[in-house]
Amino acid sequence: MGASLNEIKTKIASTKKTSQITGAMQMVSAAKLQKAESHAKAFQIYAEKVRKITTDLVSSDKEPAKNPMMIKREVKKTGYLVITSDRGLVGGYNSNILKSVMNTIRKRHANESEYTILALGGTGADFFKARNVKVSYVLRGLSDQPTFEEVRAIVTEAVTEYQAEEFDELYVCYNHHVNSLVSDARMEKMLPISFEESGQQKPSLETFELEPDRETILNQLLPQYAESMIYGSIVDAKTAEHAAGMTAMRTATDNAHSVINDLTIQYNRARQASITQEITEIVAGASAL
Amino acid sequence: MSENVMTLQVITPAGMIYDHHANYITARTTNGEIGILPNMISTIAGLEIDELKVRRPDDETHVDYIAVNGGIIEIKDSLVTIVADSAERNRDIDVSRAERAKIRAEKALEVAKAEKKSDEINRAEVALHRALNRLNVSSHR
Repeated sequence: MGASLNEIKTKIASTKKTSQITGAMQMVSAAKLQKAESHAKAFQIYAEKVRKITTDLVSSDKEPAKNPMMIKREVKKTGYLVITSDRGLVGGYNSNILKSVMNTIRKRHANESEYTILALGGTGADFFKARNVKVSYVLRGLSDQPTFEEVRAIVTEAVTEYQAEEFDELYVCYNHHVNSLVSDARMEKMLPISFEESGQQKPSLETFELEPDRETILNQLLPQYAESMIYGSIVDAKTAEHAAGMTAMRTATDNAHSVINDLTIQYNRARQASITQEITEIVAGASAL
Repeated sequence: MSENVMTLQVITPAGMIYDHHANYITARTTNGEIGILPNMISTIAGLEIDELKVRRPDDETHVDYIAVNGGIIEIKDSLVTIVADSAERNRDIDVSRAERAKIRAEKALEVAKAEKKSDEINRAEVALHRALNRLNVSSHR
């Protein structure tokens, strides 16, 4: 009985330590989440404005688009930019997105030459490598609040590959942050750029003076637009990652607390049992005299 | 008076840098310098890496300077929107950081010229241009 008492005691101590660590990690994630949320909000304004200018410019266009980034090509190969986290301990965050990507790929594509993967985050890269899926670009070690500069490499890579006709459409797969408890896996078509939702509502009658000319501005604006959209989803995914990390760590801490409770009850019972036994032994010994 | 005022918004990925009324704005587009007055015809243009000069309505002598790293300007209904990768107001510019950026860009330019890599030279020239622009704008204090 004594050994088991000690055993329970060490178990309680170690669980307590674990809960302290997960508690601290929860708080770290919560702080990062708050930062990421305000960052995402600031970026939202930018994305909205870039979108507005682009729609203004494109909707006043009479002729069909000639810019390579807007022309719909026959789809021979599809690119998927999959955003995952670099580290674990984020609950179902990674498995969620990877499962939905695998399902979509299985549904849409018959063989491997029809798609290519750009992986952002180590977990996704390792996942696809383990399944022998060809990954054409990997970016690891993104910081918690990625700056535009950091992300530019993968964004530019995606846009250049598209322009070089490496693939004919690009989907970005990421977890959209709804709130700190809920996020949902999203797959958004980024390229070719289309304005169907906003463009057809009200054909703008306004005409713009363009300097120097439409093509030059579009050449400058469309990459900027694509970059901002992709960067926006990366920021969104990062926010969701911090939220997932926070929730996972909170669950872990709660679980640790309930384990500690159970163990403490067990410990007290065992202690009582051993005391009762001792008394019984003493009484029995005394009456035997 | 109120008809003779427009709103200028400068927006970067880091958020809204500038959001104020203005009487008169000068900017350098890819085609050359333009002056913008309220109620101007709707325009969209590309911007150079240069300074933006904003005359504020409250006081004749009140002028703000903003360093803009390229981007696009849109003018519509007396609302001027500038969307750029980055932009800084003169009072927000960290001069020592800009100096360091300038030195770094100069060194990179030398290295690139020695190695004759045209891509690198272009990139370094743009970086140098940005640093010089920021220093230039920060001198208006």
